[in-house]
Amino acid sequence: MEEGSSLAASCPGRSNGGGEGSTGIIDLRPPGSSPAVDLTDRVHLLPCSIKHDGPCPVSHYFKPKQTDVVVDDLCLKEACFRGRKLQGVTVSLPPGYRGYVLDKSSESGKRSEASEGGFNRWLSRAEFGNLTFWNHDSLPSPDDPLIRCFHWFSVSNALHKPVTQAELDSAMSVQGRND
Amino acid sequence: MSSAPLPKWASKPCIMGIDEAGRGPVLGPMVYGCLYCSLSYQKTLTTLNFAEPIWVLPVKLLKFDVTKINLNEISHNSAIGLVKRVLDMGVLLTEVYVDTVGDAEKYRVKLSEKFPGVKFVVAKKADSLYPVVSGASIVAKVTRDRALRNWVLDETAENMQRNFGSGYPGDPETKAWLDRHKHMVFGFPTIVRFSWGTCKPYFKDFVEVVWESDKMDEDCPNNGRSKHQQKLSDLGFTGYKRKSEDIESSGKGRCKFFQARKLQLVSKF
Repeated sequence: MEEGSSLAASCPGRSNGGGEGSTGIIDLRPPGSSPAVDLTDRVHLLPCSIKHDGPCPVSHYFKPKQTDVVVDDLCLKEACFRGRKLQGVTVSLPPGYRGYVLDKSSESGKRSEASEGGFNRWLSRAEFGNLTFWNHDSLPSPDDPLIRCFHWFSVSNALHKPVTQAELDSAMSVQGRND
Repeated sequence: MSSAPLPKWASKPCIMGIDEAGRGPVLGPMVYGCLYCSLSYQKTLTTLNFAEPIWVLPVKLLKFDVTKINLNEISHNSAIGLVKRVLDMGVLLTEVYVDTVGDAEKYRVKLSEKFPGVKFVVAKKADSLYPVVSGASIVAKVTRDRALRNWVLDETAENMQRNFGSGYPGDPETKAWLDRHKHMVFGFPTIVRFSWGTCKPYFKDFVEVVWESDKMDEDCPNNGRSKHQQKLSDLGFTGYKRKSEDIESSGKGRCKFFQARKLQLVSKF
């Protein structure tokens, strides 16, 4: 999830969470002149891992139903998967952010195999403006990790926003006064 | 039904029977039926002449998510709900006869505590012992059959059919229906009770699904589940390789802010 239409991403291994890292380009423009495929209202995050990767008749089998219950201003939905009842809410992505479904472009595949941790090229296949996340045991709440992930956006902004000369000056003057 | 005026005999002492239908079948609702009549009508009831002064009031339980709730508990709560509804309608219940699969005495004490003014008789095979329970049993079975016949499947995939048969595991029609309606990702349509033993042979045809909540369950294995119910995770629905990183990101090794949000830095694709 990022702003803008195209960006270069680099994940060098300086964080304690990652390994050696890799460098790549993510192209968020839809291919050709066609409009982007919009998956808004069709992206679901389930509380399980399904060991299958490929197309699936989701809308024929997975049937979320609205309930009368409201959780933190969001309408609670119910659905079933593999005999289990799920409870979920649809959350919009914060303004200025969009979700993208990325696909590794084939041409970069060979190149990155040749040099491990090498150059990757990613293409956007679809976009979405919201997503529905589902819990199995508990009602969705603002304490769920997915909702709390959105906190990162403001922290990230504060960390990475360029510092203006005015801000520098005022910070210096505060420091000066403290000395 | 509650809007209809109560018959006069309802204000004289009444007896009621409660029975269930659909505990065994692999698909469809479990139905609780009850039948009540005036105490003086009890003798006539044995002739099975189902004339006017019998009122029936079925209740349905449609969906199954038996990973968490004990089947006997569902059964008890449904019976309690029926007794409450009939009392609230203004029927003077003095005796209630209930069929049970589990411990009869514990169940009787539980019901008696809830409704101190009512005498409860709880027995195994009560449907063959007390005519009023036989009647309730018929109500439940007929209601279940009708519900199954008119069932509207949630799923809208092509070639979905409703010829489930009886839903009992031995029924060839039911078996054939299960076979035709399995899906490698979704399993069965939601009418099916996934945790029933009958489904087990089909799991090998499904892709593996690993649930976050099963991982947590392993720390507290017995949360009131009865012996006859199986955990979905016991039935090959979850994997032998239970690596948490397969299921979700953890933010492991990062600062608390990221761990709490399960934000992990992905550096290799």
